[in-house]
Amino acid sequence: MITIPYLTAVSTYFSYGLLFAFGQLRDYSRRIFDWWSTNNLHGYAPICLAHEDFYIRRLYHRIQDCFGRPISSAPDAWVDVVERFSNDNNKTLKRTTKSTRCLNLGSYNYLGFGSYDEYCTPLVIDSLKKFSPSTCSSRVDAGTTSVHAELEECVAKYVGKPAAIVTGMGYATNSAIIPVLIGKGGLIISDSLNHTSIVNGARGSGATIRVFQHNTPAHLERVLKEQIAEGQPRTHRPWKKIMVVVEGIYSMEGEICQLPEIVSICKKYKAYVYLDEAHSIGAIGKTGRGVCELLGVDTADVDIMMGTFTKSFGSCGGYIAGSKDLIQYLKYQCPAHLYATSISTPSAQQIISAVKVILGEDGSNRGAQKLARIRENSNFFRAELQKMGFEVLGDNDSPVMPIMLYNPAKIPAFSRECLRENVAVVVVGFPATPLLLARARICISASHSREDLIKALQVISKAGDLTGIKYFPAAPKKQEEVKDTIKLD
Amino acid sequence: MMYVRALPTTDVNRNTEWFTYPGVWTTYILILFFSWLLVQSIFNCSPGMAWTIVHLAHFAVTYHLFHWKKGTPFGDDQGIYNRLTWWEQIDNGKQLTRNRKFLTLVPVVLYLIASHTTDYQNPMLLLNTLSVFIMVVAKFPHMHKVRIFGINADQ
Repeated sequence: MITIPYLTAVSTYFSYGLLFAFGQLRDYSRRIFDWWSTNNLHGYAPICLAHEDFYIRRLYHRIQDCFGRPISSAPDAWVDVVERFSNDNNKTLKRTTKSTRCLNLGSYNYLGFGSYDEYCTPLVIDSLKKFSPSTCSSRVDAGTTSVHAELEECVAKYVGKPAAIVTGMGYATNSAIIPVLIGKGGLIISDSLNHTSIVNGARGSGATIRVFQHNTPAHLERVLKEQIAEGQPRTHRPWKKIMVVVEGIYSMEGEICQLPEIVSICKKYKAYVYLDEAHSIGAIGKTGRGVCELLGVDTADVDIMMGTFTKSFGSCGGYIAGSKDLIQYLKYQCPAHLYATSISTPSAQQIISAVKVILGEDGSNRGAQKLARIRENSNFFRAELQKMGFEVLGDNDSPVMPIMLYNPAKIPAFSRECLRENVAVVVVGFPATPLLLARARICISASHSREDLIKALQVISKAGDLTGIKYFPAAPKKQEEVKDTIKLD
Repeated sequence: MMYVRALPTTDVNRNTEWFTYPGVWTTYILILFFSWLLVQSIFNCSPGMAWTIVHLAHFAVTYHLFHWKKGTPFGDDQGIYNRLTWWEQIDNGKQLTRNRKFLTLVPVVLYLIASHTTDYQNPMLLLNTLSVFIMVVAKFPHMHKVRIFGINADQ
């Protein structure tokens, strides 16, 4: 639940109003100037309408140096961030050859597989030499190697489902598979804060889409009842299929989905459950098996489990796990399987090795250590930030912690101040988040040591004081002087 | 320090969902009040003239933003709102919600203040009445997606 000081809300609206007004003034003067100059379109239509990229041109470009920073090393706990400069007030940015070593609080490197790993990397290099970097073909033509088959079995066993199918890109897993599962005449009920890939897949499927309030099972039940009673729009026939789409950890809030309640509601109304575990697989749960293990939900109750390998496994691609019939059907129908290039073989090998490390099958207990360390790190960091007075979202045990900024001016201020002290953070504003709720998102990794976290806390505290984002009162320091006072009766 | 809760909405349209969060109504009223003070200090006119100027400027700006401009300022939603003005997009097209009632009331209240402080004298009264008439009629539920004489319609 996000609690905003009222004055901050009003000032944030003022600031956005001012930015919007200045953007419109600049657009008007640009239009007057362009009236006199000839356009170089040569009869072609412009790529986008003038108002469609208003936000990008007039608001995003002003603070462009805070986003999309190039890095020149592997995204480990410390990363080399390339320095950039701009001669025209951030409209274009030029890279220099220098880079600064910064503490990396932005990569989704939850288990530390993002850089050299003593078990995984030699196996990946062997696989790179034996197979090539790319299979150069789709899965049905010549793109299935023994590694792919092993990967699908390994993923299915890890997640706890009978079978799995793997695609080469995490975003495409959602946007290519949802249209195959449900079509016109079906109903998709998705959480209001679902990722764009799910929204795209749902829009591309042709089914009717309804949204329920974020992580509120009561509202989901109300929407389900209403929709089942009404039936399809206009004809009022019963729905062919109803699918509820939720995520394991919501990447912008750090909140964990209320899966047991949602699954019980879906069982009651006979709707399918599609769980997107992009951020939660490998990062939460005792053996890293995701939100089902953490909340004690039987995997047989969740019909379709989707996830990506980009976050905890240090690779690329996504998977869908489900019953054998479902996966067989997807292998016949899904365009990501039939036409898209299969996942690169060394990446598949990285996933298999990472899963072996997590389960301890490589002969050491590094997997269990990593899981324990990420849980400790997340809980320590979140508790310290809350003690300092920051407003931090997210549940306990979740490695994603957004720190609320709110005002648009604090977005670049916080980001640049942290970069000056060699800490790289990711800031997010509108339209990825609601207008009022801009935030800095911290992702904790198992490869962060305690000293790294303490340094990060000091830098964030200093930047927080300068930008004024400690919206809650700080927890009082422990009273150590009480022992010296004498009690007067 | 007063805190408010910000509950996430179910509105997927990023162009209008910001209007459902707390603090918007206060900000709107404060902007009008501060612009009245600004107009008085710049033009050095009577309070009544200043309210008339604020009312007419408010009419021009909100008519353009709410009822003339169509679509959204970002390309991510693939143009599904390209035929709808902001007023038609707000609250997912549902009519007579609290936000819509508030936005209909503001020009009327401004009109009453402007006419009262100018003592209902003539050139200002005519202009004020015309603008409030246009503003309120444009916000009627019956005018949803109506384009009179094809003004502002697409090809």
